Amino acid sequence: MADRRATNRAMFWRIIRRLLGANRGRLFVMMLALGAGAAVTATLLNLQVDAKRRLTTEFRAFGPNVLIIPKGSSTTGSETLPESTANLIPVNLPSGRVAVSSTLYVVAGVSVPKLGKSLSAVVAGSNPLAFLIGRVLSSTPETSLNRPTPSQGQVCVAGTRVAKQMGLQQDMELVLASGDRREWCRVASFRQTGGPEDDRVEIGLRAAQRLTDLPGRISAIELIVPGTPGEIQSYIADLQRLLPDVDVRPIRQFTEGEARIYNRISGLLTATVAIVLLLTGLCVMAAMTNVAMERRMDVGLMKAIGGSMRRVLRLFLAEAALLGLAGGIIGAAAGIFLSIGLGRAVFGVAARPRLIVYPLAVALTVIVAILSAFPLRRLASIRPASVFRGEA
Amino acid sequence: MFLRIVADSFGRRPRHKLLTGAALALGMGVVTAALSVSLDVGDRLAKEFRSLGANLVVTPQADSLPLEIGGVDYRPVNAGAYLPEADLPNLKTIFWHNNIIAFAPQLETSVAVSIYPIPVKELPTIRADRRLIGTWSAKTIALPDGGTFVTGIGKTNPWWRVDGQWFKDDADECVLGRKLASSLPNFAQGIKLKMGDTIYLYADSSVDWQSGARPMALRLTGILDTDGAEDDAVVVPLAIAQKLAGRPSQYRKLYVSALTKPEDAFAKRDSKTFTPAEYDRWFCTPYISSIAFQIQQELPGTDVRVIRKVAEGEGQVLARVRMLLWLVTGAALLAAALAVGASSAASVIERRTEIGLMKALGAGSGTVGFLLAAEQLLLAFVGGGAGYALGIVLARLLGEKIFGAAPEPSWIVFLVVIALAAGVTILGSALPLRRASQYEPAPILRGE
Repeated sequence: MADRRATNRAMFWRIIRRLLGANRGRLFVMMLALGAGAAVTATLLNLQVDAKRRLTTEFRAFGPNVLIIPKGSSTTGSETLPESTANLIPVNLPSGRVAVSSTLYVVAGVSVPKLGKSLSAVVAGSNPLAFLIGRVLSSTPETSLNRPTPSQGQVCVAGTRVAKQMGLQQDMELVLASGDRREWCRVASFRQTGGPEDDRVEIGLRAAQRLTDLPGRISAIELIVPGTPGEIQSYIADLQRLLPDVDVRPIRQFTEGEARIYNRISGLLTATVAIVLLLTGLCVMAAMTNVAMERRMDVGLMKAIGGSMRRVLRLFLAEAALLGLAGGIIGAAAGIFLSIGLGRAVFGVAARPRLIVYPLAVALTVIVAILSAFPLRRLASIRPASVFRGEA
Repeated sequence: MFLRIVADSFGRRPRHKLLTGAALALGMGVVTAALSVSLDVGDRLAKEFRSLGANLVVTPQADSLPLEIGGVDYRPVNAGAYLPEADLPNLKTIFWHNNIIAFAPQLETSVAVSIYPIPVKELPTIRADRRLIGTWSAKTIALPDGGTFVTGIGKTNPWWRVDGQWFKDDADECVLGRKLASSLPNFAQGIKLKMGDTIYLYADSSVDWQSGARPMALRLTGILDTDGAEDDAVVVPLAIAQKLAGRPSQYRKLYVSALTKPEDAFAKRDSKTFTPAEYDRWFCTPYISSIAFQIQQELPGTDVRVIRKVAEGEGQVLARVRMLLWLVTGAALLAAALAVGASSAASVIERRTEIGLMKALGAGSGTVGFLLAAEQLLLAFVGGGAGYALGIVLARLLGEKIFGAAPEPSWIVFLVVIALAAGVTILGSALPLRRASQYEPAPILRGE
C-alpha cells in the first residue's frame, strides 16, 4: 500500500516534470507573465509604503510647523521664556528627528559705520543660526554660517530688504544697538524668503541676549516636526501636556496644508497602486488562462488512459502553483532591485526593503497562477474521444 | 480569401481570442488609467497646494522696514507707505491672469475695541492698542475686460476658520479674533458675545476721533480662529479699516495666490541674463518669478516677493510626486506589456498545427506570418480600444474620488495606448512567428 503510494507520488512528480519541460516556449511565456506581475507587485507595494514615509520628510521644505511661545504673548511681544525649555522637547520621533531652533527677537538700531546709515530693524538671535529656508544670496558656502570661526568675529545674515534699504555689501560691519548696549557683526550673507525674515538681521542667540541684557531668555522656539498629520497632532498634544507653562501652537498654514496634501497624495498613490495591481493580476490571469486552455489535449489523453478528473486537475494545479512560486520568486527578486533603483531615482535614497512585501508578492502570484488554471475544471465534462477527433 | 481566413480564425476559436483580447484590454486599461492620472495630476495637485495659501506678497517699494515679530508689525501707525486699491483689478490682466486664483489686500491699524459706547468724557483715557486688520472676505471685483472676479482672505489664507460667518465687504460688520473676543470685559462677567452684537471701534487718537468722529459701530458676524497672531485682532472690511486708519482707498500689503509651474534650473537663473528667446520662454511659462515680474509691471511702485517656503516647498513635493506617479505608470506599462506579449506569444505557439497545414497547402512563410500578424493586429486594435474605454472609466473614478474632478480624456493617451497594444502584440508574436516560419510541415502534421 505504502509502496503504491510512493510509486504514485513518483509518477505524479514525473508527470509534472514532463509537463513543465515539454514545451519550453510555453514555459518561458508563463514565467514571463508571472514574473512581470510579481516584480511589479513587489516594487509597487514596497514603494508605496516607503513613499508615504518619505513624503512627510519632504514637507520639511515648508519650514517650521510648530511654534512655542510664552503664554499670553503676542499682544506685546515682550514676554520671554527660559532657554532651558528647548531642552525639554523630545526630539527623537519614530518618523525622524525634530529640528529645534530657539530665537530671541529684539528691535534694535542697526547702523553701518562705513556708510554712516542707520535704521531700526528686528534683530533675531537664533540658536542654531536659523533654519536656512529661502535663498541665501551669496557666494559664501552655507557651512560658514553655521560655524563662525572666532577669528572672523560674529557673523550675521541680513534679510534682503534690510540690505537694500541700507545698501549693505558682503563682509560689511554692522553695529546693533539697544539702549546703551552694542554688538558688532560682519554680514556673511543675505537671504530672501518673502517672509518677515527679509526685514530682519539674524545673529547668534548669545549676541542677542547680550544686546537685550536677557541672558538665558528666548522669545520663541520653532520646531520642524516630521511625520504624518496624525503623528504631528499627537506630538503637539504631548508637548502641550509636557510644557504647561508655555503656549504650544501649530503653524496652521503648514500643518493643515500639509495634512490636506498628504491625504490627497497618499490616497492617489494607494488608489493608483491598487488599480495597477488589480489589473495586472487580471491581465496575468487572462494570459495564463489562455495558455491553460491549450492543454485540453493533455487532459483528454490523461482521461483516456484512465486518470480521474480529480487527479488530472490536481496535476495541473500543482503545475500552476509551482510555476507561480518560481515566477513569483524570480519576480520578487527583480522587484527588490527595481524598488531600490526607483526609490533612489525619486527620493535620492534607496527604498528600505520591507521584508513582508516579498512573501506577499510571491503568495499573490501563486494565487493568480492557481486561479488561472481553474478554467481547466470545465474540461471535466468533455469526452476524450471528441478531443482527439479534434471536435471540441 | 485572406479576410475569410482571418474571420474564420476569430469565429472558430472565440474563447481563445476572447482571452487574449481580455488580457490586452486589461493591460491597456492599466496603461490608460495610469497615464491619464499622471498627465492630470500636476495641475490637480498644484490646486491642492493652494491650500497653503498665498505664494506672493506685494508691498510698497518705498516702505519703511517693517518691525514684524510673531506676525505683528510694531511700526507706528503712520510709518511706511501705502498702495492704491484702485490698481488691484489690473492683476487679472497680466499674461497669466487665469493662474491668479486669489488675492487679498490688507491694511492694519490699531483701535480700541469695546462692547458698549464709551462715554465722551472717558474717551481721552482709552488706548487704541488692539490690532485691526482690514481686508476682503469675498469681494466682487469688476475687471477691466468687463468680467467679474470674486476673491478674498478665505482663499489666500485658507487655514483661517470663522465660527459664524465672514463679514460682508460692503456692510458695517466685523469678525473678532478668538482670544480678543474672550478678553473683552463682558466675557469675564460671564455674558457671552453673540453673533449680531454691536462692537464699537475707536480709532487711534492721532488719526481720527479727537477731531469729532463717532465710533465705528459694527455688527459681529463671527469669531476667527487661526492659532496665530490674528487671534488677538479684529478683522473688518477693507473700506472700514481705511476710514479708521485715515487712508481712503489704500492698502499696505497684498497677498496673491497663484498657480505656478515648479521652478527648474532655468527659472532659477537671473532674468537679466536671458537672451531674448529665453526671456520669451521665461515670460510665457507660469514660473512664480515670471508671475511676480508681471504683477510688478501692473502695480507700479510695488515690491513683489515670492514667499519662498511656500513656493519652494510646493515645487519640491510636486516634483517628487510627479516622478513617483510616472514611475508607477512605467511599472504598470512594463507589467501590462509583458503579460500581453506573453499572451500573444502563447496564442501563436499553440497554432503550430494550423501553420503546418497552411504550409502543406502551399502557403509561403511570408504569407503565413502576414496572416497571423494581421490577426494579432486586429486583436490589438479591438483590445486596445476596449482597454482605453475601461481605463478612462477607471481614471474618472479615481479622479473623482481623490480630487473631485475627472481627468479629461486625451487623444494622446488613446494614440499611445493603441500604438502600445499593436507594438506589444507584434513583439510578443514576433519570436514564435519567426520560429513558425521555419517549421517543416510534415513533422508537425504527424504530431511530432
